Amino acid sequence: MAERCAVIGVGQTQHTSCRADVSIAGLVREAVDRALASAHMTMADIDAIVIGKAPDMLEGVMMPELWLVDALAAAGKPVFRVHTAGSVGGSTAIVAAQHVTSGVHKRVLTVGFEKQSDGNAMWALSVPMPFGMPVHAGAGGYFSPIIRSYIKRSGAPAHIGCMVAVKDRTNACKNPYAHLHEPDWTLEKAMASPMLWDPVRMVETCPSSDGAMALVLASEDVADAHDGPKAWVHATAMRSEPTAFAGRNQVSPKASEDCAADLWRKAGITSPIDEIDAVEMYVPFAWFEPMWLESLGFAPKDHGWRFVEDGITEMTGRLPVNCSGGVLSSNPIGASGMLRFGEAAMQVMGIAGEHQVDSVRKAFGHAYGGGSQFFAMWVVGANKP
Amino acid sequence: MSGGTTEYTIADDGSFTAPLELFYPYKRTVGPLLSRFLTGLREHRIEGTLGSDGRVHVPPAEFDPMTGEPLSEWAEVSSTGTIVTWSWQPSPVEGNTLQHPFAWALIALDGANTNLLHAVDAGSADAIRTGMRVQARWATEPVGSITDIECFELVPESAA
Repeated sequence: MAERCAVIGVGQTQHTSCRADVSIAGLVREAVDRALASAHMTMADIDAIVIGKAPDMLEGVMMPELWLVDALAAAGKPVFRVHTAGSVGGSTAIVAAQHVTSGVHKRVLTVGFEKQSDGNAMWALSVPMPFGMPVHAGAGGYFSPIIRSYIKRSGAPAHIGCMVAVKDRTNACKNPYAHLHEPDWTLEKAMASPMLWDPVRMVETCPSSDGAMALVLASEDVADAHDGPKAWVHATAMRSEPTAFAGRNQVSPKASEDCAADLWRKAGITSPIDEIDAVEMYVPFAWFEPMWLESLGFAPKDHGWRFVEDGITEMTGRLPVNCSGGVLSSNPIGASGMLRFGEAAMQVMGIAGEHQVDSVRKAFGHAYGGGSQFFAMWVVGANKP
Repeated sequence: MSGGTTEYTIADDGSFTAPLELFYPYKRTVGPLLSRFLTGLREHRIEGTLGSDGRVHVPPAEFDPMTGEPLSEWAEVSSTGTIVTWSWQPSPVEGNTLQHPFAWALIALDGANTNLLHAVDAGSADAIRTGMRVQARWATEPVGSITDIECFELVPESAA
């Protein structure tokens, strides 16, 4: 990175199943106003805006960047739109950071959002293309065979997914913005949750949420002058791969492994488990926590589920994962990746409230999208890189 | 509708075309300002928001196009206005509020600073010209949509 960049503003909406009280523009603006307030800025201070959301078909909105210009006070400023399916919130934040690290802009506003209540993401993901067998099973139907493959390969016991789900739903009760506040989950109750896509139970599945997340990213001089908490961007990485090809490892895609290796190298991290204090990982189905722990290099191959079973990923564990409640507790798709990135920054900034982990020096934010084929990651830290 | 096909076809060069028909229902939560505007239409009332520069936006702008600030001041405008420009539609398509030839027009409603795109039931292209006065004709069963204004009709010159 040529120039340094820091997160100096974070703002999110309440995530819920239906924000009927606001338009999409109003929803976006709510997160933006909170991010600007925490950065001690107004719209007029912003140089450029980078926005992201999930595929337009999910809400039936054509080019939201076009009609959000008023709500983003973008008249006379550059606006960019990023598309990378479910990972979009992460890659949008990375594109925004690159506008700062490149030296082009000093104050960049970035926002991710989704109003799932206006559409239905599950069926919009099941377009019957003429060259593929129509399954009409949504994301859960796509990912459940991959999870089965992981379970078979790793020998994980059946309750691991439910352990992750109980942890994330319990953590979410400490996050006032989380969509689901369900304090009464136990492992026993979770194991009795209805099976949606074998082996994925309902409790192991993310909700459909309305919500938005916004960040203000600043250059070094602006961040130094900012009288408030900040999280320095230590490294970012993105990778992609095709949905299908012979020999593809869908449990741990090469793009995921390469992206993580590149990130750790850029951030100067040699042992992620020892050097990362808080993780915000994209886990829309509970079993992806152990899968990503392995793919990202936090756990040895086939040992990710042991981390879960041993409580390592609990908020009080050695590697707290998704203290915010994660995607399993709030999933406004276009914002979900940015929520991971922003929640990681909040941990470093010490502003995560009840779900704050003690003395976080470095945190990891992660998003993936498509058929496990787009990856976006960053490391943020309390000290300058 | 143009562009689509229901046929599987193979061209002379072997290229194959398959049909892909999508039907997918959405809804739109429009927020507090458009909620008021659209419910107003049900009661034959057209309202806009007052921008920071004093201009009246119809339909209402939620955020000021100049400053980005949320707008909250209302201004009721007339259901009568003036044709700013127009184009003749000789062959109405499904979904048009009028099923006989009509004009698409930009209409400056009295009291508004924005032009509203709507249909004008002018009879023939010879009967309409820029500068003419028009008035809203309301739909018989309002639902809270811009089509609660079925169309605009010409105000007789003598009355104007």
